Amino acid sequence: MKKRKAYLGFIAPGFILYTVFMIIPIGCAVYYSFFNWSGIGPMEFIGLGNFKKLFTDARMSRIFFNALKNNLKYLVCVLLIITPLQIFFAYMISIKIYGHKYIRMMLFLPYVISTSIVGFFAILLLDPNIGLFNEILGAIGGPDAKLAWLGDPNLVFKIFVCVVIWQCIGSGMMIFYANMQEIPADILEASVIDGAGEVKKFFYVVLPMIRSSMTTNITLSVIYAMTMFDLPYILVGPQGGVNNKLDFVNMVFYRYAFGGSYFGETSIGFGSSISVTMFVIILTFSLVTTRVMRRFDD
Amino acid sequence: MKKRRKNRKIEAKSTRFVKNLISVLLIAYSSLSIFLIGNTILSSFKTKSDLINNTIGWPESFTLENYAIVLGEEHFFRYFLNSVVLVGVSLICLEVVASMAAYGLAQYEFKGRGFLQNYFLVGLMFPIQLGILPLFIMLTKAHLNNNLFGLVLIYTANLSFPVFTFSRFFRELPTSVIESARIDGASEFQIYTKMVVPISKPVIFTVGLLNFVQLWNDFFLPLVFLTKTSVRTLTLAVYNYSANFLANWNKIFAAATIALIPVVIIYFLFSEQIVAGLTGGAVKG
Repeated sequence: MKKRKAYLGFIAPGFILYTVFMIIPIGCAVYYSFFNWSGIGPMEFIGLGNFKKLFTDARMSRIFFNALKNNLKYLVCVLLIITPLQIFFAYMISIKIYGHKYIRMMLFLPYVISTSIVGFFAILLLDPNIGLFNEILGAIGGPDAKLAWLGDPNLVFKIFVCVVIWQCIGSGMMIFYANMQEIPADILEASVIDGAGEVKKFFYVVLPMIRSSMTTNITLSVIYAMTMFDLPYILVGPQGGVNNKLDFVNMVFYRYAFGGSYFGETSIGFGSSISVTMFVIILTFSLVTTRVMRRFDD
Repeated sequence: MKKRRKNRKIEAKSTRFVKNLISVLLIAYSSLSIFLIGNTILSSFKTKSDLINNTIGWPESFTLENYAIVLGEEHFFRYFLNSVVLVGVSLICLEVVASMAAYGLAQYEFKGRGFLQNYFLVGLMFPIQLGILPLFIMLTKAHLNNNLFGLVLIYTANLSFPVFTFSRFFRELPTSVIESARIDGASEFQIYTKMVVPISKPVIFTVGLLNFVQLWNDFFLPLVFLTKTSVRTLTLAVYNYSANFLANWNKIFAAATIALIPVVIIYFLFSEQIVAGLTGGAVKG
């Protein structure tokens, strides 16, 4: 009898912590999103009022959809630029091009660097007054050649994507690389004997074999893209920089949930409705990804 | 026949050329990370006047002046300790709680086991931001806001991935050895501490490494929960410098170096294990 009860003692601490600090807060967030509540005082049930405000209120919907558009724009960049680059780099390492161990080590290195330091590196290069890029431009073309970089509404998103590429390429690349290592050697050898070159081998043999890491990476990227916060916050501040070009849904959420003293309005209910919306979008994308990838399998 | 062979030779040659070109480009590009880190470390030893003319390159003379200012006057020693305590205590709690839960789930048969296994996985689907507002209200009510221990609780509760990693390892444990220890009269808890924990060192190590990197670098949760200067962590302190770059540019290199050194050392010692933990190869190793 004693033996059968033992599992309770092992699981209980984790179960309690996980339930109280992970699951219940999520339930509460959904619950709060139906109320008008500033955090103190009485809660007023307003049904879908917060969501209605988020989607239809002139000022609010403009902020929200601008941010959402940036999230989606970033996601498109991930799928069209970052993921292909990760696959390409992973393949180059897996065919052991010259210096592949060094390249692997160095490309993955940014993974362990805090985003606040990545932001510092970017500012070090891009600061309009004393950044390295402007010193170089100034030396070549005089003061007129200097750029505003992160202060330039046409450049800021592109710079942001470049920084993300540098920061995030390693982890996804490693997942693809690990998957490529699992491809049986005899399949690759057979394709070489059949006369396939590196390019053909890649498209006809390797690419179809890395579907599982593709699903993993795309799902992770979707979650990362929809919850984007640290890097834009560090690069351009909580408002999303010039013309809110780098504003993301999570930053809108942060401003309304925690930034009351800075941005005029704190509403627990309204803030919750933003985070719930964000989650619904993530869930939808994840389901679509899984479905689409499964179709590829058939 | 001859022509064909010749064609293939040309093709092989051009392939080799393209490969070498790519490798040169990749080596150059990937060196950016070590260059930026190296330059930050070097610049942290430069005097203020040296930094103005010499942002990139070897210092004229090495000085510890910046470190004295940053660690002393600017309280970075405090921030460093905050980070160490926060990450250290969180890691210990997380390892203990997660490994116990995973062991209970993997090695015992009971009603509702399948449900509990899935229950612990649900957290993988939710972004941390979803529950953060209610958490904030909860911790404020419990007077744990602006308190390192409050954040330890949240980090420890983020159990899904560690429980998942531990479970996969524990499922492979040799049941016969555990059974025989049981017959010899060892208590369930003794079996766990004296037998299971020692053979689980590799998983404990991987889980520890991955979470160390994540928690040490975490920005969002400290930003929300640790707003007072007395509990500030290194990542926040470095951010405060770079947000006012012009005013702090001579101090920020030393500050960034202090935050970078621990993770970079760990990376160069254990990058293989970090990769393995990330890609799920931990169990095989």
